[in-house]
Amino acid sequence: MSGAKTPRKGGRGSLRGDLAMLRSGRDWRGRALAPRGYRTPGGGAAGYGAGKAEQKTFPTAWARTPAARAVRNVLQRGVLKQYAWAKTRPQIEGLDLLESLRGPAIFVANHSSHLDTPLILGSLPRRIADRTAVGAAADYFFTSTAVSVTTALMFNAFPVDRYGSRRSGVSLPAELIDDGWSLLLYPEGTRSHDGWMSSFKMGASRLCVSMGIPVVPVAVRGTFAAMPRGKALPTRTGTRLVVRFGRPLPPQEDESITDFRTRMLRHIAALWSEEDLGWYQSLRAAHEGRLALPEGRTTALPLTSTPVEQGKPVAEWRRVWEATKPSMGDGRRRVWRND
Amino acid sequence: MSRPGFVLEVDERTPPLLVHEGENFRLERLPHGTRVIYPPDSLPGIRDLDGVIRRALLEPHGSEPLPELLFPGMRLTIVFDDLSLPLPPMRRPDVRQRIIEQVLEMAAAKGVDDVELIAANALHRRMTPAELQHVVGDRVFRSFFPQHLTNHDAEDRDNLVHLGDTAEGEEVEINRRAAESDLVVYVNITSTAMSGGPKSVSVGLASYRSIRHHHNVHTLRHSRSFNDPPKSAMHHSYNRMQDLIGGQVKVFTVETTLNNDTFPAATRFLNKREWEWNYGDQAAYLASRRGNSLMTPSMRRRLWHRTEAPYGVTGVNAGAPSEVHPITLRNVHRQQLTEVQGQADVAVYGLPYICPYNVNSVMNPILTMCLGLGYFFNLYLNQPIVREGGVGIFYHPMPNEFHPVHHPSYIDFYEEVLAETTDPAVIEAKFEKQFATDPWYTHLYRKSYAYHGVHPFYMWYWGAHAMQHLGQVIFVGADRSAAARLGVQSASTLNDALQLASQTVGTSPSITYQHMPPLTLASVR
Repeated sequence: MSGAKTPRKGGRGSLRGDLAMLRSGRDWRGRALAPRGYRTPGGGAAGYGAGKAEQKTFPTAWARTPAARAVRNVLQRGVLKQYAWAKTRPQIEGLDLLESLRGPAIFVANHSSHLDTPLILGSLPRRIADRTAVGAAADYFFTSTAVSVTTALMFNAFPVDRYGSRRSGVSLPAELIDDGWSLLLYPEGTRSHDGWMSSFKMGASRLCVSMGIPVVPVAVRGTFAAMPRGKALPTRTGTRLVVRFGRPLPPQEDESITDFRTRMLRHIAALWSEEDLGWYQSLRAAHEGRLALPEGRTTALPLTSTPVEQGKPVAEWRRVWEATKPSMGDGRRRVWRND
Repeated sequence: MSRPGFVLEVDERTPPLLVHEGENFRLERLPHGTRVIYPPDSLPGIRDLDGVIRRALLEPHGSEPLPELLFPGMRLTIVFDDLSLPLPPMRRPDVRQRIIEQVLEMAAAKGVDDVELIAANALHRRMTPAELQHVVGDRVFRSFFPQHLTNHDAEDRDNLVHLGDTAEGEEVEINRRAAESDLVVYVNITSTAMSGGPKSVSVGLASYRSIRHHHNVHTLRHSRSFNDPPKSAMHHSYNRMQDLIGGQVKVFTVETTLNNDTFPAATRFLNKREWEWNYGDQAAYLASRRGNSLMTPSMRRRLWHRTEAPYGVTGVNAGAPSEVHPITLRNVHRQQLTEVQGQADVAVYGLPYICPYNVNSVMNPILTMCLGLGYFFNLYLNQPIVREGGVGIFYHPMPNEFHPVHHPSYIDFYEEVLAETTDPAVIEAKFEKQFATDPWYTHLYRKSYAYHGVHPFYMWYWGAHAMQHLGQVIFVGADRSAAARLGVQSASTLNDALQLASQTVGTSPSITYQHMPPLTLASVR
């Protein structure tokens, strides 16, 4: 029998080999992503452990009570922000554009790290941050009670069904907006595997268009280098960490959900490339369509230092290479190009 | 509601998938693009099983209620499927016990005195008293064993009766007690679509003289598959025999189906999809793997054969066999059927530690071949999951071990017959009769606990269709000498197997892995 043979150290049959096999494809909590090809009975693709029998939506209303908000304020401002800022020294830009923002809005950002949410919430003025709820993947953050409670309390998170398999009568995000809450959503649906952006799902733009509220584009750079998937704590790298807010964009009259989504994506790409091109050139590049945007299942980085042919696959190492490129210059914001 | 079966395409997010290999199992990284066939989730078991059994007996299909068929002074024979079903054996109380008890209660109420219970073991080995007790329960066992609770003896000439020949010239010879009874109540478990229905009496209570008409190379090569009765020459033969039996013997059948709860709670990870394994499942996997490697082969075998499945019962239907069986088949399909689009170049199967013929015994190389190329390969409807001329890759250590009490003729078959040829047709023509009529094997079958002398031949024939269909057969992890004797190739790893397969299907073949157990019946379009 194969099991009776003396196992090679670290090889198949050894304890280390078995452990390596078990760990393969699983996160630190031992959970594996459902393979892409797996469809849940509801017709959606699946996430962690998805496809299990119907799950009830975790209640989060308690996390928006005054008491929970007070606790959250202490945790977020007193602990989380202090730690994140000490470790990453982020540069925050564009807050002046939010001064005129009144009432609920949807903040949408590119997403490549668990660091994104604390950085964005920590950057926002308190009057906005205190009234902002964060959409968090129901199949990831709301599968165990302990993690659900922590996530809801710490970030004022509410569960988002990113695969459309849960059925509930009333949309919770719409209810929140009706109650005057702003939302922070990541329309890519998941953290980037390689630092490149994926195409946006429709949910955020649909909400904006149907509720008639503005979207605030947010570009986050450097978090993939500082704390990518699989890392539990941030590290300081040569890549500068920037959170850049754009001007609130209300949906235009007769603008379709798809068009609004594209506009949202283009603005985030422009904010993202402002780091390299400067403010004005980034606007021009976006206007002239020179920034690469993700399409379908193809990921993209708005600007790359090496040539990338549109629509052609790029080797994984090159994608990571570009996404972790060290920042150049003195770090000051440029309005005009240097050349 | 249970989730339906599905076909997964392996991608970069797919964790390593579980593959059975005898008493062990492994996590295997399958090449991207490999399609994996999963069965539907286990259906919920019937809660009020005794109530459902009672209703089935009182409201049968195509028959009067059972109590109306019972009368004082009658000869009642209760026949039940033997230990080859289900696999692994069912945790007590076995559903057969619960049915037999209710049948006996009704018979007692009607004043029936002449009752016999017979295990329909055909040419299988006799069940030991402990095995009989496990199936029928303590109360029935104490009341009837040993005089009136017996194994069918296919070589007891005095207790066999020739009922006649079918239009195709097939001789129908069955157990005399059953044939001469006023009523036969057949208690069945239909684990796969090949079981039950016309097979129950015409095979379970038959003799070699009768069974040889359908258990042969020609029939098995024309059963595509034998899990698809309308397309199975074997079942056509059963049907003809059952028609003949039905004209002379009153049979009231009780068929049951089980869900896919094949493994107990300690190893429930074997019933789950890998990406849904929690920490407990992962720990259980690791503990099982490590525990397996620490045990000797015999300890490991004993432990695994002690495993009893916590099956739930998904259906109990009673009445005329021809009316009950279609309902039973629908229940089997509800639990096992998964739709698959198209065939692959390579089929992968992980073979577990148990097959119908090594319960409490050893899985010898011939049974391994039978399980892989016979049972698992034939778990399809319409067409095999692998194209004609494709490659079958099976995981099993295939140790060169035999149980000397249970499988004496297997040892000689392996040493003498397979040393000469592996061609089923040649084997059948040249050796079958000699083994089937050997008085020593017959004696061991009747008086010891041996399978009939002809049984290893039938095991070999089960694989005849696959042998003809496949261009290459590779066993991963198999004992090299045993594999060579069986005429198949062995490989150390999947990569090696795919390397070997590249001679037949090229370097980038399409691959389909039929993920089981629990059993999956692939409906391939």
